[in-house]
Amino acid sequence: MERMPPIDARPPAEAWGVLAVEDDLRARAFFESSVRACAGLRWLAGLGSVAEALAWLQGAPQRPDVLLVDLGLPDGSGVEVIRAVRARCPDCEPLVVSVFGDEESVLASIEAGAVGYLHKDSAPEDIAQTILEVKRGASPISPMIARRVLAKYRSLRAAEPGAAPPEQAADVVPSLLSVREQEVLTLIARGFSYAEIARLKGLSVHTVQTHIKNLYGKLAVHSKNEAVFEATRLGLL
Amino acid sequence: MSGWRRAACVAAWLCCWGLAALLPPAARAAQDEPVQALRMARIQAVIDGRPQDWRTVPLPYHWDRLHRNHGGRAVVEARFDLPGGPSAQPYTLYFPLIGNAAAVWLNGKLLVRYGDLDAAGRDDYGKIARQVAVPPALLAAHNLLRIELRADGGRRGGLSEIYIGPTEQVQAHPAARAGALRYAGSLFLGAFSLVVGFIALMCWASQRVADADGRLRRETLYLWAGLAELCWSVRVFDALIEHPPLAWPLWGVLMTGTYAGWVGGVLLFCHRAAGWEHRRSMRFMQAAAGVLVAAGLVCSALSFAWFRPVLLTGWLGAVNLCAALYALVYMAATLRRPTTARVLLAAAGVLNVAVGVRDWVTIRLGNDLGAVTWNRYVSIAFGLALLYIVLRRFQQASGQARELLGTLQARVAAREQELASTYGRLEAAAREQARNHERERILRDMHDGVGSHISAAIRQLQSGRSTSDEVLRTLRDSMDQLKLSIDAMQLPPGDVQALLAGLRYRLEPRLAGAGLALEWAVQELPPWPGLDAQAMRQLQFLLFEAISNVLQHAHARVLRLEADAGPGGLAIRIVDDGCGFDAGRAPRALQVRAASLGARLGVRSAPGRTEVAFTLPAA
Repeated sequence: MERMPPIDARPPAEAWGVLAVEDDLRARAFFESSVRACAGLRWLAGLGSVAEALAWLQGAPQRPDVLLVDLGLPDGSGVEVIRAVRARCPDCEPLVVSVFGDEESVLASIEAGAVGYLHKDSAPEDIAQTILEVKRGASPISPMIARRVLAKYRSLRAAEPGAAPPEQAADVVPSLLSVREQEVLTLIARGFSYAEIARLKGLSVHTVQTHIKNLYGKLAVHSKNEAVFEATRLGLL
Repeated sequence: MSGWRRAACVAAWLCCWGLAALLPPAARAAQDEPVQALRMARIQAVIDGRPQDWRTVPLPYHWDRLHRNHGGRAVVEARFDLPGGPSAQPYTLYFPLIGNAAAVWLNGKLLVRYGDLDAAGRDDYGKIARQVAVPPALLAAHNLLRIELRADGGRRGGLSEIYIGPTEQVQAHPAARAGALRYAGSLFLGAFSLVVGFIALMCWASQRVADADGRLRRETLYLWAGLAELCWSVRVFDALIEHPPLAWPLWGVLMTGTYAGWVGGVLLFCHRAAGWEHRRSMRFMQAAAGVLVAAGLVCSALSFAWFRPVLLTGWLGAVNLCAALYALVYMAATLRRPTTARVLLAAAGVLNVAVGVRDWVTIRLGNDLGAVTWNRYVSIAFGLALLYIVLRRFQQASGQARELLGTLQARVAAREQELASTYGRLEAAAREQARNHERERILRDMHDGVGSHISAAIRQLQSGRSTSDEVLRTLRDSMDQLKLSIDAMQLPPGDVQALLAGLRYRLEPRLAGAGLALEWAVQELPPWPGLDAQAMRQLQFLLFEAISNVLQHAHARVLRLEADAGPGGLAIRIVDDGCGFDAGRAPRALQVRAASLGARLGVRSAPGRTEVAFTLPAA
């Protein structure tokens, strides 16, 4: 993962508001201290369940800019919180909190609309750093996830002729990955860093990061399309 | 007993059929003018070219009796009066028998010709009754009927009594009805025998049944029955053949042969149907049937050649006697152990023997020229019995086939169930084995990875000599091992590229934290066969170990990871610019893991450049 240079501290009024939904109190406290320690970030609230999060959003004293959310909450899935937040404040960027950053949980959260993930065991300054990077347009992605996305993309391409209704296939598959995105993903899967990819492809690091972030959005949209397509096929819509 | 019951049903049906066929139809309305029967005639015979004197004889004029089986010609004159003069209605002359060839003249006008009078031994019209329509104009109050005859010796030629009267009355006359019945009966019974014989021979030719010793054989039952029926059909159809293909008396010998063939075939058929085909008596019966046919041919030939009808009569009598004896034996056996087939055949046999004796007495001994054999009617009993046997066998065979099919299906179902349960057990065993392998793998993984790091951290804390940085590093190692272990679960076997990429992703924060710059020189690597999940994990451990060594001990600033695949194998090199170590004493953990992977370990170390290389040989 390519690290951005630390950014200048911003005045508190312009700092990004961070909302954390995490039932593990120690982890929550750790996030809070990490966020509070960073001048560019503002701690809004730390909540422990889906119900609390939904109630807090209902009151909505302030709009969060960043949501830190655990997927396994005691009364439901963090995905519900992500949806509620995205519906209320489309600019808010959800980050999923993951212990291992393993493929299954990360892919599921990306498809739910998350734009990245945080490791629970990261150093406090790394937590703040990751949040700031995301707000500046970056998105973390591991080689394993890149490989999975490519595999999924290839299987979609293979299933394309005749498998899906023509309008669906034309709609979903070509818009999933551009050629450049595919190249970038392939290099990430081979273990290259953003900087190395930027050098190899003659791009800026920022462009590489933008590609990745776009990709996250596409994956979320694609999974939504897939759901719509599935629902249509099943006669639910 | 079921045999008796079934036989009784079949017999009752047969009787009904027979009675219906034999009963004379209801008498017609009152007759206006009686039919006249002419029973006296004047004849002049010409035997061997010598004309004999005219004489008056009673009709029937039995040629063979009168002329001792010598062929010849004759002129017959019979007169009849129509007291009231001829009426306007059509008249008919009816001859129960006339021939073998004849020409009929009425009052000097030719009415009809039956065959060639000059060709001796050829045509034979004397086997069925003949009717001649008489134009009323030819009739007068006093009429002369003149008939020219040609008769062959021993051929039952001559002239029966003659009936004359109005057509309607003549046709209603019992004699004319009997003649019509004989004609229709011969046609029907000949056709029946032909069909039954053909079916039986087809069965014989097309079917093979397993013998007691397991060999497949043709069923001789069908052969004997088929031969008998075909012989009989020729014999019966003969009544309708006016121009036989062979000249008399050869044709006569052949007809005797068909009769003998029928009797012999029926005897063998009965014997076989009784289930005695494996007894010694079957051979005897076959020989006896052969002798019977041969004797029939010889007796018949001699009887015609020597003008001694007694030879043929004797042979027929002997046949009747033998058949009667056999019928008695058969009857006795049937009474002892009845089966449906035996009962039916015994009844048919007794009936045929009785009728055969009657025919013999009436035709060979009696003087009735127009007499008809009854045998031709009752012989059908054998054909019906055969049909019954065939149908019964077919029924049994299809029943057996159904039973076999049922058994087979049950066996297949049982086998399928057995297979399914075996398969289920095997599958369960395979699942259990896979679970065991997975458990083993996870346990080993925990032991080598997280477990060893956590226990190291505990020791570090207990000793009190380690700094918190050192303990932290051990715990971070433990966490990294855990993440790598989770990654390994998703790694496709053989994908070293993905393994290296994942390792970099997991370890890079540590390298960055340690101020170690990473140079990535990993070429595109093909999937490497022979690396299963376990080997992939070993490779992960190996590389982790090597990188950890650099991190902890080398004091390096740059770490370079190189990987490429070539004919020599897949090579991975970890190069650092640290202080180096004694290359002769490579870390033992590295050696052990490399050996378990089958990888070559190469270490070159000097201050400023240390290279640890692993080479996986090409599979």
